[in-house]
Amino acid sequence: MFRSVLAACLMALAGCRVAQPTTFFQLAPEAPLHKAAQTRFFETKDSDELLSASAAALQDLGFHVEESVRGLGFLRAAKERSALESGQKIGRVFLIIISLAYVFQPIDLQQQISATIVARPANAAGTRHEVRVMFHRVVWKGDGTVEKNYIPPGEQRMEMIRDPLIYQQFFARLSKAVFLEAFTL
Amino acid sequence: MRLFPFVVCITFAALAGACTVPKPSANLLAPTEAQTKLRSIQSRTFELTDRLVAMRGIMGVLQDLGFVIERANEELGLVTAAKFAEPNFLDVVEITVTVRPQDGGKFLVRVNAIFNNKPVEDAEVYQNFFAALERSLFVNRG
Repeated sequence: MFRSVLAACLMALAGCRVAQPTTFFQLAPEAPLHKAAQTRFFETKDSDELLSASAAALQDLGFHVEESVRGLGFLRAAKERSALESGQKIGRVFLIIISLAYVFQPIDLQQQISATIVARPANAAGTRHEVRVMFHRVVWKGDGTVEKNYIPPGEQRMEMIRDPLIYQQFFARLSKAVFLEAFTL
Repeated sequence: MRLFPFVVCITFAALAGACTVPKPSANLLAPTEAQTKLRSIQSRTFELTDRLVAMRGIMGVLQDLGFVIERANEELGLVTAAKFAEPNFLDVVEITVTVRPQDGGKFLVRVNAIFNNKPVEDAEVYQNFFAALERSLFVNRG
């Protein structure tokens, strides 16, 4: 009896450990698709102008620049917004009714959206430049309860933003700012 | 009752012993064999024209692999990036890459990755990274 309990405990402990994957430096099958959505080419020699216009386009979208490295053509910007969604609110109310006020499910409360831009020459002569932008967000949940157990706020979730429309909007602004047409891969 | 002074002495001796700080061993900071092995797994030399080319290649390959670049320092040849292991968004992989010039127009690229605050020591993981970097540098050279 004791041995079987011990074995069960050991198995449960082993199950809790997250094995280190070996695949995080391997290209995902969908990587070229993401790259195509995140990248545009501009026929210009002026990398500084491209980077400055990228910062301006991000400012227009409400971001504030957190880090910039001119030589590497690198920019990082972020903005915080409410993450409340009416769908989640309705779902929460529905769950409260169904569970007879047993479960108050935590819902998304606040989010930080970040943008990372790298602008670099795309050919040896430096007459064409590549701009790649990546958007991701961190979402914080509010509080909740299950029976009498309180769930404190602050649970985090992180995800990449893959919606092509957001990338298209950014590049449309950038294109307008540098008076140049953006080319895809 | 006769034992009382003896017990008091033993208690004080134990307390005094607990107060002494154990001395670190003389070879605390000496490199171990495992560290040397890990350093060789994490390092690779590339023949490149300048550091900027290497750094741009590294940033490009990190973006291809889905990493978000957090910091980059051109003067120090330093790039820091992180990635969330989708789809559960709970596991985080952090990576630091340094580029240092060597003799004869070569550059030493050293990578160290951390998965959920634990160092990654699997050689295959680093081989995959260097293979991707080599490909990226070759493509951009052309």
